Amino acid sequence: MVEEILLDDITPIGIAFSKDDGGLFWIADGDNNKVYRYSKDFRKKEIIGNFERPMHLDESEGKVYIPEYGSDEIKIYHQANITSLEIQDSLDAPASISIWKEEIGIADFYHHRILYFDGQEWISIGKKGKEDGEFHYPTDLQITSDKIYVADAYNHRVQVFNKDGKFLHTFGKKEKMNASTGIYVGDQQIFVTDFEHDRLLVYDTNGTIEQIIDTGLNKPTDALIVGQQLYVLNYKGKSICIFK
Amino acid sequence: MKYSIVFIILMLGVTTQMSAQKSTMDHFSIQVDGLGCPFCAYGLEKKFKEFKGIKNTAIDMETGMFTFEYPSDKELSMEKVENQVTAAGYTPVSTKIERANGIIENSAAIAPSEINEGSIIKEEEIFVAGNCGMCKSRIEKAAKSLDGVSEASWNKKSKMLSLSFDSNAVSIEKIEEAIAQSGHDTKTAKAEDDIYDNLPACCLYDRE
Repeated sequence: MVEEILLDDITPIGIAFSKDDGGLFWIADGDNNKVYRYSKDFRKKEIIGNFERPMHLDESEGKVYIPEYGSDEIKIYHQANITSLEIQDSLDAPASISIWKEEIGIADFYHHRILYFDGQEWISIGKKGKEDGEFHYPTDLQITSDKIYVADAYNHRVQVFNKDGKFLHTFGKKEKMNASTGIYVGDQQIFVTDFEHDRLLVYDTNGTIEQIIDTGLNKPTDALIVGQQLYVLNYKGKSICIFK
Repeated sequence: MKYSIVFIILMLGVTTQMSAQKSTMDHFSIQVDGLGCPFCAYGLEKKFKEFKGIKNTAIDMETGMFTFEYPSDKELSMEKVENQVTAAGYTPVSTKIERANGIIENSAAIAPSEINEGSIIKEEEIFVAGNCGMCKSRIEKAAKSLDGVSEASWNKKSKMLSLSFDSNAVSIEKIEEAIAQSGHDTKTAKAEDDIYDNLPACCLYDRE
């Protein structure tokens, strides 16, 4: 069963969830340079600020981390204040950020690499190319307890790394995704938005395709599981689809 | 009364100054084909940040209209603007410049070739590799830029390009070469690697 909620004129690119106040969704609207905070039922929304092309954001311990594709900065929203994340390196169009405990991962789109902070130091993973461990415009990533998953958009695949930055395996080529704009790694499954094909690819944790969902999707950009529900953003549809 | 007159004079001064400030900027409107992928569209905006002094950039994804303002004393030309759009991987359809001094410049769109007496019109379909709306614009523009091509329409799903052309004026081989030079492989003409590599992200079709 799918429910589609129209988001007015919002063009959603990234979504995050925090448990504060009974549950809040955070949605980045790239076209309109805004980030919105929604109540869990999507009935109330507030603009939390203007940002330069905000993309795949993340939330951790009450802080919302917002990559600005336009300014090459990571902004942090915390209790109505906005600051910048200090990074000892330059970014060129950060498309995504993932936070896991003290760890930070950033998809550095035009540099074709991942910047990863392990809690002590930053390392750079990958370079431009098509081989294993190389990237062609990474758009999204997620850090888990032991791995880093990357939507390697224009190599049309997902790549998986360990936390030393070593390439482990890849999947998604068989499905000819075009392009993998968003990724969400759940406990049992991995969800990848396939932008041009208007579909969501569902894999098991080994990268074997389990399901293809295309109902209600119109240029999807990101996915997220909260509780028993799957949330998928429709960039062109200007909506969010909730699969129950 | 005296204070009112002073206030009005002051306001007039501010308004005149604001008008003068506004008149130092040229306004550019570029109709761009193929906007759709936000990552590439925002890349277009980033590309124009190379023009120091650019202000008020805006992209309307629905209409494909890209607008900005630029200091008039820098005399930014139509050619330079369109080359920058092309360098970002987009295809400019038309450009309008409203100069600060009131002069308006419009670019000329490519007109398809006319069918002349003695023309032998052929209709053919050829395979052309590509991915998205931006690819479609680029492929069709490359074909239509040749004398003798009256129609070119590429289908994103089937990857087939439907052509109408005067076989006295142009050959299918020439059309395929022109398309390859724009970055898109056909069955018989391959794009050079550096041209392919310079396509925008969402146009990078799978060559394997």
